[in-house]
Amino acid sequence: MHNPLREKRLLDIAGAENIEQLREIRVREQNRLTMELSESSTHEVVESLNELHDALITQTLKFAENELARLGLGAPPVLYAYMLYGSGGRYEQTMYSDQDSGLVYADPSNELDKGRCQNYFPLLAETVVQYLIALEYPPCEGNVISSNPEWCLSFQGWVNKIENWFAEPSWENVRYLLIVADGRAVFGNMELAGKLQDHFYNDLLNHPIIARRMMENTLKHKMLVGVFGQLLTERYGENAGSLDIKYGAYIPMVNAFRLLATQAGIRETSTLQRIQALRLKNLLTEEEADEAYEAFSFFLKMRLLTTIMNDGKLSPEQLTKELIDLLKKALKAGKKIQRKVQRELQHRFGGR
Amino acid sequence: MVKKSLVSLGALLVLFPTIAFAEDPSAGQLNMGLNALWVMLAAILVILMQGGFILLEAGSTRMKNAGHVAGKTIFTLGLASIVYWAVGYGITFGGDASESLNKFIGLGSFFFNPEIASIDNGAPSSIFFIFQLAFAAVSLSIAWGGFAERAKLSAYLIFTLFFVSVIYPVVAHWIWGGGFLAADGAQDFAGSTVVHLTGAIAALAATILLKPRIGKFNKDGSANEILGHNQVFTALSVLILWVGWFGFNAGSTIAIGDGFFGFVAFNTQLGAAAGAVAAMLISWLVNGKADITAMLNGALAGLVAITASCAFVDPWAAVVIGLVAGVLVFFSAKFFEKMKIDDPIYALSVHGAAGVWGTLANGLFATEELSAKVGVGRAGLFEGGGWEQLWVQFESVVIAGAFAFIASFIVLWVVKKAIGFRVTEEQEIVGLDLSEHGNYGYPEQMKKAGTSV
Repeated sequence: MHNPLREKRLLDIAGAENIEQLREIRVREQNRLTMELSESSTHEVVESLNELHDALITQTLKFAENELARLGLGAPPVLYAYMLYGSGGRYEQTMYSDQDSGLVYADPSNELDKGRCQNYFPLLAETVVQYLIALEYPPCEGNVISSNPEWCLSFQGWVNKIENWFAEPSWENVRYLLIVADGRAVFGNMELAGKLQDHFYNDLLNHPIIARRMMENTLKHKMLVGVFGQLLTERYGENAGSLDIKYGAYIPMVNAFRLLATQAGIRETSTLQRIQALRLKNLLTEEEADEAYEAFSFFLKMRLLTTIMNDGKLSPEQLTKELIDLLKKALKAGKKIQRKVQRELQHRFGGR
Repeated sequence: MVKKSLVSLGALLVLFPTIAFAEDPSAGQLNMGLNALWVMLAAILVILMQGGFILLEAGSTRMKNAGHVAGKTIFTLGLASIVYWAVGYGITFGGDASESLNKFIGLGSFFFNPEIASIDNGAPSSIFFIFQLAFAAVSLSIAWGGFAERAKLSAYLIFTLFFVSVIYPVVAHWIWGGGFLAADGAQDFAGSTVVHLTGAIAALAATILLKPRIGKFNKDGSANEILGHNQVFTALSVLILWVGWFGFNAGSTIAIGDGFFGFVAFNTQLGAAAGAVAAMLISWLVNGKADITAMLNGALAGLVAITASCAFVDPWAAVVIGLVAGVLVFFSAKFFEKMKIDDPIYALSVHGAAGVWGTLANGLFATEELSAKVGVGRAGLFEGGGWEQLWVQFESVVIAGAFAFIASFIVLWVVKKAIGFRVTEEQEIVGLDLSEHGNYGYPEQMKKAGTSV
């Protein structure tokens, strides 16, 4: 599809010479997309927005590589991939998402390379993270970020790490596995990232119990709709009367479909693609898939709207009669999926 | 040697009490003694309910006010006892007023001087006084819910004087002391209206005049949650109140008689139980989370509601009354918050809304048989008695409520104009422990918190 705006945007980014120029492009393009939100489909806006983020991050990585070369460290000693996790990994970033990232580099073949890698990649990661902060991508609060040595490893280092997580599925380790399940390479050697994914899915098959632990880790966030079909809004505080779209609608659905998809060996990371893939594998009925797709698209849109103003929450003023009806319908669809996941896993492993 | 012989003499006295008491008691004396013992035990239980109020109020408020909140309950219990002895008891039960005046107020028995023992095997008036005083003190402690965390200590003092001498005794006289509502057949066995509604209405007047605590409501009208500092205290308080309530309700039979007090206790237990269960479930269904505070309020609401009806209804009705009270208290708390009325201890909902419901419930569920047994009023609407009893109940709620509100409002309004009702903003922020008493209830914690500010 020919889209002149899109091509101009990508060209502008590729032609930018420094972070400041990238930042200007980001502000300009996000403003444009905010305008579009009211007229285009959510799907298109989310796609354009994530393409914008990917392009900006890619260009930033190029800047960082150049900077390291300028400092006399040369080119990257081995192949590597820069990974995105969280909403970035799922192609679901908003205008204000933070950095959830990691880095994997090919196993060095000798000691000399090993030393160079240990020198080069931490510095590269640190540089990228700093540049992205300058680009107004705040660092991840949970420290899932490439500048954290734990998230910047050689291929074998990653394989060992993931295997350890599987071997010892504590709450914390299962959280990491859930994060890795949404990971994808944004820049660099895609094959490397793909091989890492092979390992992850192999391990997943060999540890069936992990599915249950993953479910338990994600149960705490519930769809905010009550038994009587009422919205469960915040009761107290500055946000009283508002609805937490992020944790009460978006995240529970992300969790449910991640679980269903990873169990089915589906490697898509975007939730909408996961729904489609589950439908193709007949793991969702057409009705379920349509309902879920529609509901999740709606939540993505709400999330985009709310992150612009209010930290993922719909304020009481925004909750009009029409919107409440739509929300109730979508939340009920989400709740149905959440129950389906729980039922299936319950069925598979028995009660606790 | 002397010690040994004293011990053996004591043992002999225990084995052969006739050595000490020359004469066997008569049946009438035994009957009086048992009744007196039961009422005394009930009075002790009701006075122990003050321990429940101390923990309820302290647990539901913040650490910086804990010493004040707890201590002032003991102080006002002391003051209330003296005021009730001097004036209050006479207003409720004094028999010197003319017949027309007695419809509205009793006179006599001021500075009450009871006989030193039972006369003709009647109930000792000393014990009756203590029992009635305990009820007045409970009503007063309920009113403090509306004062919590922001009223001056002097306001507590002045309000105690008026509430225990006039406001509570007048309502009690109307329903229990032979006043006009008693003559109409108003059924309020142990005081859903007299004790609970009167206290709650005083709390309402106070909280309206005081206005909400700093930080309770935002500029846009939304509410903040000011959590109490110790939920374990609050839960324990409910248990103490629950146990004390057996004195409150079953003790209100004032006699052992044919064992009717057991039936009253039985209904009391069912009402409280149903209230706790209903409130937990409704909070779960409506908010998506099973709220402990709501559940505790539900248990208390069940108790408050069954207080009026415990001697008049069948057990199934006690369960229904408790269930409705549990649901009612949950929505009532939401309602008052929406009206921007700050009710830190939920006194308005627990004692007010549930008190009204419990009183009206008699008009619905009172049975012919039990009304005849107690000797007050008649059967309710669902028991074939028609609308009459319900109307009488409604009348007693409205009249008692209106009087309590107007009288409390006037007293507190005058306090507000004359000496000020509320502490200063600064005092409220540092806490009443420091501002009213000079020391923290939790010195270590509060001083630590103070240094970090």
